[in-house]
Amino acid sequence: MAVFVVAWQAVTMMMNSPFLPTPVQVFQAFLKISTIGDIDGYTLWWHIGVSLYRVLLGFAVAIITAVPLGLLMGVKPLVKNFASPITEIVRFIPPIAWIPLSIILLTGINRYIFLLWIGIFFPILLDTIAGVKRTSETLVNMAKSFGADNNAIIKKIIFPSALPEIMNGLRVGLGVGWMCIVAAEMMGGEPVGLGRLILKYANLLQIDVVVLGMVVIGLIGLAMNYMLLSGERRLFKWRVEIKA
Amino acid sequence: MPPLIIAKELSKSFIAGNDTINVIDNLDLTIDEGKFACIVGPSGCGKTTLLKILCGLEKQTHGSMLIHGQPPDPKKQRFGVIFQEDSLLPWLNVISNVKLGLELYRIKDADLIATKYLDLVGLEGFEKYYPHQISGGMKKRVAIARALAVDPEIILMDEPFADLDAQTRSIMQKELLSIWSKLNKTIVFITHNVDEAVFIGQSVSVLTKRPTKVKTTVSIDLDYPRSRLSPPFISYREKILGLLQEEISSL
Repeated sequence: MAVFVVAWQAVTMMMNSPFLPTPVQVFQAFLKISTIGDIDGYTLWWHIGVSLYRVLLGFAVAIITAVPLGLLMGVKPLVKNFASPITEIVRFIPPIAWIPLSIILLTGINRYIFLLWIGIFFPILLDTIAGVKRTSETLVNMAKSFGADNNAIIKKIIFPSALPEIMNGLRVGLGVGWMCIVAAEMMGGEPVGLGRLILKYANLLQIDVVVLGMVVIGLIGLAMNYMLLSGERRLFKWRVEIKA
Repeated sequence: MPPLIIAKELSKSFIAGNDTINVIDNLDLTIDEGKFACIVGPSGCGKTTLLKILCGLEKQTHGSMLIHGQPPDPKKQRFGVIFQEDSLLPWLNVISNVKLGLELYRIKDADLIATKYLDLVGLEGFEKYYPHQISGGMKKRVAIARALAVDPEIILMDEPFADLDAQTRSIMQKELLSIWSKLNKTIVFITHNVDEAVFIGQSVSVLTKRPTKVKTTVSIDLDYPRSRLSPPFISYREKILGLLQEEISSL
């Protein structure tokens, strides 16, 4: 990390452009934006909070739609054959491509939730299906031999067995969502959000705040990823993993 | 008293692509209540399929399989099945695994019953351990405790000790016999180890190669505990080995 900052300082000194800020300048921007706020008066923390709020909302909607559908598609081939043609096509449309449509048809928080949902839904869906497919047939037979019906099998065997994959999907989805929100905020009309902060100051050619925004986005993404990863590690101690 | 398990002209085939695979063909088998019946057969002959039909996990293509006069249905009758592969839920600890069968059959006092059977199989104190923390033999014991806990009519075991080392296997055989004599359950035990079959079974049914049927059933008239070195034991073993060998060499 320290090496990176030193390298950054070196590059700025070499390039000597008014548009490439030094680490010190970015830190100063951090101090300013987090205390006094940006030109509209919103502090850094407010921007962070708004972006996080939108992402977590979209994340929640994606989870409650993707996981049940994924379970159903994994278990019932009929449902999979029915839904696959649609999901397989839609998932290749990048969330950014949906922005124009969403600007026309939706406003405010709904627009953000939709764009986030489009990005987060598919990794979760695919990983849920993969997790279900990985369920051991022996465990399903064992449950059946104790008289379990389909509901019990899904609840007690398939879902817990697929949970590591599902959580991986959640983690990937959250990462995608975090990236989506920045693009969405850049295009949207709201005055707050990390994406908007970056755009505002890019228009003012104040690149130190732009870089600040980027650094903050990266750090928060890292923190969320790390939190989910440690959660996974604690929950899934029973998984015998290959020690890399 | 009529036999508990009656299989008559049992046949089972699977369709794989364009081919039909006949696994079981015209199998007749009867097992009386409370008996310890062993089934031996060459590898891949269809023993596991037979076991699945016995507990209702598969349905036969022709013929009949009746348990107390009814086709087997694990939702209506209680089976205790111990599979060859590891069948413990890795995300649950030992006692929760044993309670699984009880919960599925909605039996009350699951904690009490689970603890009792864990003690019976000698795993007192291991209740909170996880499957990845215990040995193969211990995992098998948990599976046995889980199967016994639901008070099943029939216990079905598919080569349960095949993955264990010789020493553990021998210990488990003796423990199984001790549990059986205490609880008086009907046990159907599949193995390809003839020595094991003669040591623990009251009868040993020899299956033919695929498509399988019962070649013959040998009644083992020896008192427990049996000695592997006694002349009658050796003669039973040789006889059954010979019958099995006929099937294997004609493969």
